[in-house]
Amino acid sequence: MEATAATSHSLLLEDTARRTRGKQRLYVICQLCGWLFFLGLHVTLFVMDPGKDPYMIQLRIFNTSLIAIMVLVGLLMTHYLRPLFARWGWKNLGWRALVPRIFGMTLVQSTLLVAVVFAYPFFFLQYPWPAKHSIWLSVALTWVNDIVLFGVWFCVYFFYHLFERFNRSELERAQLAASAKEAELRSLKSQVNPHFIFNSLNSLRALIDEDPARARQSVTQLANLLRYSLQSGQLETVPFEDELRVVNDYLALEQVRHEERLRVRLDISPDTLQLPIPPMLLQTLVENAVKYGISTQREGGEIAIVARQEGGALRLQVTNPGSLPEAVRRAKASASTGVGLKNASDRLRLLFGEKATLNLRSATPDSVVAEAVIPLRIA
Amino acid sequence: MKALVIDDERLARNELRRLLKAFPDIEIAGEAANAKEAREKLDALKPDLLFLDVQMPGETGMELLESLEAPVPHVIFTTAYDEFAVKAFELNALDYLLKPVDPARLAAAVEKLRGKVNGTADTSPAKSVPRDRLAAEDKVFVREGDRCWFVEVKAIRLLESEGNYTRVHFDNAQPQLFRSLNAMEERLDPKYFFRANRRQIINLAWIDKLEPWFSGGLLVHLKGGAKVELSRRQAQDFRDKMSL
Repeated sequence: MEATAATSHSLLLEDTARRTRGKQRLYVICQLCGWLFFLGLHVTLFVMDPGKDPYMIQLRIFNTSLIAIMVLVGLLMTHYLRPLFARWGWKNLGWRALVPRIFGMTLVQSTLLVAVVFAYPFFFLQYPWPAKHSIWLSVALTWVNDIVLFGVWFCVYFFYHLFERFNRSELERAQLAASAKEAELRSLKSQVNPHFIFNSLNSLRALIDEDPARARQSVTQLANLLRYSLQSGQLETVPFEDELRVVNDYLALEQVRHEERLRVRLDISPDTLQLPIPPMLLQTLVENAVKYGISTQREGGEIAIVARQEGGALRLQVTNPGSLPEAVRRAKASASTGVGLKNASDRLRLLFGEKATLNLRSATPDSVVAEAVIPLRIA
Repeated sequence: MKALVIDDERLARNELRRLLKAFPDIEIAGEAANAKEAREKLDALKPDLLFLDVQMPGETGMELLESLEAPVPHVIFTTAYDEFAVKAFELNALDYLLKPVDPARLAAAVEKLRGKVNGTADTSPAKSVPRDRLAAEDKVFVREGDRCWFVEVKAIRLLESEGNYTRVHFDNAQPQLFRSLNAMEERLDPKYFFRANRRQIINLAWIDKLEPWFSGGLLVHLKGGAKVELSRRQAQDFRDKMSL
């Protein structure tokens, strides 16, 4: 168990590391492609139509080089904004909180970019403005252009994170549900009642003198039952036939203990033998039947097991003498006893869905029937 | 010593019989497969010792014991695997054997029992009280929920009426007994037990001190802290009894 937990934990870590690497690669590709596409667009437009007027050619070379500088600065700016976003926790904000922030950040960034590209060379270093039109026109146009650029960049970036977070929470929820289900199943898997084991060993010891052949046979049956009970924890379902064989061993052992007080009647339809059932389900029902129907009745009685395939389901019925109010009263008197059936019922529902049922009812005034219905298809 | 083996399984009874062959002083006088049979055999055989299975069809071993009129014989419980019962036994030092019974464990239980039987034999004058009254060394079986006790009558300080039940105070416990206080009074030896009022019976051996109380009454302090009020009439009875 420890080892399994450790393995799954390290697998999880490995998985996280792989995902992080994948995300980084995606970021680099998007960042480079986005900015290069923008630059490439301008260069292509210029190459396709350089114009004839030498002034216009010069102007467009100037413009393109300005754009190249802008792309470089923009790339660096957005790259170094990412750790800030992480520090401010913007990656975990909902879209309502993000929209105004993205809007404000877009304005700030585009203003900053314009300042770097225009103010530094032409106002601070006093380079002459080479174009005929006013520098303010270029500033205004570039500013609007940058707003669009940054707007798109931020939208793509945060949209990706929103989407990824949504996906991750879905995944986590699914994993949680799966592990809860697994843990639940593990705890619900029932085992042979220890009271029965020790009583059987006691009868067996007496049998060694009285009937050595039967004693040997009983040892085999007890071994079969214990092995099956121990192994059943590893399987979700077993063929009904396997379970039935073990239930027969169990009943043979109970007959050693209760002798003529326990009689058994089997009515199993052959088409049910290969159907899947949760391990220990029939065993639990039969154990309960012996506990309430035989152990508590002075004269004992008959336990009947009926299995039928009908209506797309396997129907198992275990009947024992006794009355339901008595069974309920006894179950309440000792807190441990009602648990077996409750667990079996929960386990059945977890494995086969809501269509699977298990109930206990009065068949006649002096007999009780436990009935399990198991859909043929696993939900 | 006459023993009665009570277990619903024939093989379990046989096994115990086989194991008890090693102890010639224990004679198995009879067997019973359930509580009803056990009651008949108890009346007929008057055994000194019961080997009693806890889990039985109909009534459990505990229910059988509870229904028996005190004094109950010595009891060694047998059980296969019963966490609740084993806890109850250990808590109150009752003797029990886990099935399949370990012969060494059985020998120890029998040895312990011999010690007890010899111990009570010395106080045989106590047996001179009429048998419908309980002697100081006789034991009463009391159960409450998962706990149970064999209480020596002399260890009981106080009995209090609670409707059809009687609350029995001894050691640190005060479980309920399924008997009325009047029924208990009939079984208790008046030499030791005094009906203090409609609701209470006190054990005179446990009186710590007396205190005059309102309008000629008495307040009796019992060892262990309980206080019981006596009205003037009862206080008069009490003084008469004590001066004898």
